[in-house]
Amino acid sequence: MTIVEILENEWFKKGYKPPRFEQADATLGDPGSVYNESWDSQNLVVEWKEERPAPPIITMNAFELILASQPQGLDLGCLFEKQTLQGFVKRETRFTSKCPATEIISKIERAAKPLGFDVKKSNNKMKLLGEKADRKGHLAFTAEIFQVAPSVCMVELRKSGGDTLEFHKFYNRLSARLKDIVWTEGHEVEETNGPVPSGR
Amino acid sequence: MDSTGKSFFFRGSSLTMGESICAAALIPIVAAMDFLFLAAINCFGYRPRPRPKKCLSGFADMTRLADESRFTVNDIEALYELFKKLSSSIIDDGLIHKEELQLALFQAPKGSNLFLDRVFDLFDEKKNGVIEFEEFIHALNVFHPYAPLEDKIDFAFRLYDLRQTGFIEREEVKQMVIAILMESELNLSDDLLEEIIDKTFADADADKDGRINKEEWKTFVLHNPNLLKNMTLPHLKCITTLFPSFVFNTGVKDL
Repeated sequence: MTIVEILENEWFKKGYKPPRFEQADATLGDPGSVYNESWDSQNLVVEWKEERPAPPIITMNAFELILASQPQGLDLGCLFEKQTLQGFVKRETRFTSKCPATEIISKIERAAKPLGFDVKKSNNKMKLLGEKADRKGHLAFTAEIFQVAPSVCMVELRKSGGDTLEFHKFYNRLSARLKDIVWTEGHEVEETNGPVPSGR
Repeated sequence: MDSTGKSFFFRGSSLTMGESICAAALIPIVAAMDFLFLAAINCFGYRPRPRPKKCLSGFADMTRLADESRFTVNDIEALYELFKKLSSSIIDDGLIHKEELQLALFQAPKGSNLFLDRVFDLFDEKKNGVIEFEEFIHALNVFHPYAPLEDKIDFAFRLYDLRQTGFIEREEVKQMVIAILMESELNLSDDLLEEIIDKTFADADADKDGRINKEEWKTFVLHNPNLLKNMTLPHLKCITTLFPSFVFNTGVKDL
């Protein structure tokens, strides 16, 4: 019997559901997330869940904030990573915003698409994949939005593929477009339709 | 008759011939391997390549460290490659100094950092200002994916207990949050900061004494397991692939 014949056989079809292969999330920057499958946090969404309503956003506690900021001292993983560049080129960057998460997500999407990025969204995480590939592959990064307090979000953009310098170049172009949602010192964010003083 | 007789005889003897071939071949092979193994162990002591002043006495130490931890002997060897690299970055003495750890973690040997001090202190068991290879292994062992949760919870507690009072005090939490906000150039108003810390203590400080003790921390973390996510380094399960040069220096090698 050939495989095709088996697949079409009644006996085989009983109770059989064809497998759905989900792409291994190897490109997401955080290697630890693969081992976190059973850790479900109400604040931080680590897994991809399709078509499920976003979990309720509650204020972070101090330790979550500390870990989300990934201070260099606490991340021993960098002992094992190749340090190919002289000096310190960070692979992630973050900013705070007083806008609601949904608005931040759509703003990032609107800003990234014309720069040549394909955007995938899930809950409070976004995956952006660059269309053109260079020597180091496609530039890819994830944007994750954390609700730090009822009115404040922290947005983290982490490179998950491609060249780090390219990532920084891209981030500079992106942040120019996101100026109105970034909360900077002594700068109150106005309504998006109103006049916006130039931030950082 | 003749041929069958012969073939029968041949078959009969081929079994014993096979056995005798095996016997003839294996015994010398085993003996040769034994010889090579013992020679390698002896040879290890006379390796000509330069070794740091404070170093392991060889294969026996690597095995002991492997037995005492979640690492295999090959893992220990690979970690030794990493240790050599880190410990020779500024002062080549086979020990990791604080500046060398800072360089490794922050790519900059200068400047002070809250967490660097705590991390260094936790690695430096003997409190003699340097991290030896054994201490390096003991500390990294806690970050192994298979290390007991209890160890990770304990390490994290001692990490956040900045002043080592046996409690995580409110001021310490505030200090840490302010430090990370400054480092990441994030913005949070004072009110917001207080609100976040209030919420933290409301969740964690069960006896409401303004500080988190070991037991409260344990309960808190078991309810919020993502708080231990930095206490596991999945890299440690595949360390030998990250430092393949150990293959050339492995203690168990052929002559």
